[in-house]
Amino acid sequence: MSQSLRPYLQAVRSSLTAALTISNFASQTSERHNCPEIEANSSPEILLNPLHISRNENEKVKIEPSYNSVRISIRIKQADEIEHILVHKFTRFLTQRAESFFILRRKPVEGYDISFLITNFHTEKMLTHKLIDFVIEFMEEVDKEISEMKLFLNARARFVAESFLTPFD
Amino acid sequence: MATPEVHHLFHAPIADHSFSSDKKTLAVARENNVELYQQSGNKFTLSDELKGHEKTVTSVDIAPNSGRIVTCSQDRNAYVWEKTPTGWKPTLVLLRINRAATFVRWSPSEQKFAVGSGARVIAVCYFEEENDWWISKHLKKPIRSTITTLAWHPNSVLLAAGSTDSHARVFSSFIKGIDTRPEPSAWGERLPFNTICGEYLNDTAGWIQGVAFSPSGNALAFTGHDSSVTVVYPSAPEQPPRAMLNIATRLLPLNSLIWNGETEIIAAGHDCEPFRFHGNENGWQLAGSLEKKAGEAGGAREESALNMFRQMDLKGQAQADTKLKSTHQNTVHTIRAHEEANGAVRSFSTSGVDGRVVIWTA
Amino acid sequence: MSQINYRTINIDALDPESSANFPMESLLPATLPQAASASDAANAATQVRQMLRGGDPEGALRTVLDTAPLGGDDRAKEVHLATVIDVLQGIRQGEMTRILEGVCSGDGGAERADCLMKYLYKGMSSAAPSSGAQSPKKSVSPQDTGFSQIQARNLGEGGGGQQMSVLLSWHERLVDIAGTGSIVRVMTDRRTV
Repeated sequence: MSQSLRPYLQAVRSSLTAALTISNFASQTSERHNCPEIEANSSPEILLNPLHISRNENEKVKIEPSYNSVRISIRIKQADEIEHILVHKFTRFLTQRAESFFILRRKPVEGYDISFLITNFHTEKMLTHKLIDFVIEFMEEVDKEISEMKLFLNARARFVAESFLTPFD
Repeated sequence: MATPEVHHLFHAPIADHSFSSDKKTLAVARENNVELYQQSGNKFTLSDELKGHEKTVTSVDIAPNSGRIVTCSQDRNAYVWEKTPTGWKPTLVLLRINRAATFVRWSPSEQKFAVGSGARVIAVCYFEEENDWWISKHLKKPIRSTITTLAWHPNSVLLAAGSTDSHARVFSSFIKGIDTRPEPSAWGERLPFNTICGEYLNDTAGWIQGVAFSPSGNALAFTGHDSSVTVVYPSAPEQPPRAMLNIATRLLPLNSLIWNGETEIIAAGHDCEPFRFHGNENGWQLAGSLEKKAGEAGGAREESALNMFRQMDLKGQAQADTKLKSTHQNTVHTIRAHEEANGAVRSFSTSGVDGRVVIWTA
Repeated sequence: MSQINYRTINIDALDPESSANFPMESLLPATLPQAASASDAANAATQVRQMLRGGDPEGALRTVLDTAPLGGDDRAKEVHLATVIDVLQGIRQGEMTRILEGVCSGDGGAERADCLMKYLYKGMSSAAPSSGAQSPKKSVSPQDTGFSQIQARNLGEGGGGQQMSVLLSWHERLVDIAGTGSIVRVMTDRRTV
């Protein structure tokens, strides 16, 4: 594990703990509605200042809090083009299954690879600190997953290349 | 300190709770209904349900003397429920608001109640004999956002309100024919309806989550989403306050607070446990939690060193736990005085998102 | 004139009573200091750098946080942010905790802690694009790879890692001292740095 991963995740954890202090809030713009204010974006005072945590240019987290919902966007490390493609495929796989993945947002926020939307209904049903654990775990697993896939892809490419080139030996 | 009395009623958030004056009946707001629990032995069992609201009930209050229950909901309505031999009978209140009703409290005189709403008004409701219904007058200016919380002054005229526009305000809700003219106080002398007796904003400007008048009514405390508690001592009408003390804590935001005498405040919120604050006009400070922490060693499971270091390395935490150490397992929404005498609270009750009502000795 | 598509007009924005037009300046307290200009910020910067060179990092941090241009314009804030980051980078790892304890105690210590927390988040949010402009962009691929997401991304380990890791370790220590409450106040406080 690299040196700065721990403080990075630690910072994400404490920022999420602070941001996930959300409670039920009925819309003040539309009658009898109750929607995530961070998405509705209808009254500026209900939104708070967003928090940015970055480890470097290519690994950062943006947390946008509001009264009843928090949007968390993650930019996953992409060291080269293959990783970029893998991240794209991976996040697409997840977002297409967003409905069974309660807190996932269908579309990432611009500039980020994947976004979560946590509302007060999620924190009511699930333990807040476990939700935070999940996001942290996701962040560390996804890096591992991507590099594993990359290794696998390279091994496979080598094998394919070898078997293609055998006839010319 | 005695161990708190925990009543785990169900697995759903409790938006608000209220005890009757004899403490035998407990009303809790659960989703679209209000459930009434009766004490039997040392347990509370479900006895009745008040059905009528179509959306989440946000607040419930039992009048201590008359026993009337007032409820309000995000469906923009409020009902006053009266006990009849055939069951609880609701009366719709003419609120005239077009957004969710967020908070309701009986005035100490029980002649009126106030309903906060997302329509940027507070409806002060009173009973009109000749028409036999509850009607309302609106406190409007200068509210700019949803009202989140309300508290009555002991004289039943002054009303404190907290709002998501980060201001805590004190209004006069004087209604001719219902209220007797109040004694002049530091808040004001002549108090026609909708007089603004005070308007307070924190430096860090969090949404106000809880307000309370001190037992004498001469100080106002409010807590906001900026994890702070602010205490205001008014000096004279139309004058800046004598002292406005802000206690910025290192905790998560506090949702609700009560006074215990003039020198103590108890508040609870997103940290799932109640905290005590001490102070007076010269300064306030956080005294600590009221929770008796279980022995750290007893609760912790033995883990392999490898696992421990991995957890610390990867997640920045020593061990994974699904159970919190506090009595409440999720955010506390409401804190109310349970038993009190002359402004001193002997016990208080809290309820929260975890479906528990807990009675604590102060 | 007739080109306006009336269906796409956001009528809420035109209604002064609409909650979309909430007056955000009403959230600023009356005690907000006078607007500081960029030259004020530059003056403060010279003074602070002198203290830092003079071997008084604690005093430098204290001064730089006390002179934060909460009411200043963007330019002044930018200049001041650079000063704060210089100070933070000028303090050694081993001394962080001791200095933080000194700065966050005493009169106004809590405000300084909150202010530092604001700068840490601001540093992490703004440093990325500026250093992104400096680092040479690697051309990703000559031909179109067919991925809609491909935009001018700079791949690689990413720049700014050094500065970020300094900010992250400050963040960790500050949370130890000032608690999560201080992060909550970064979110709620409309007096941005």
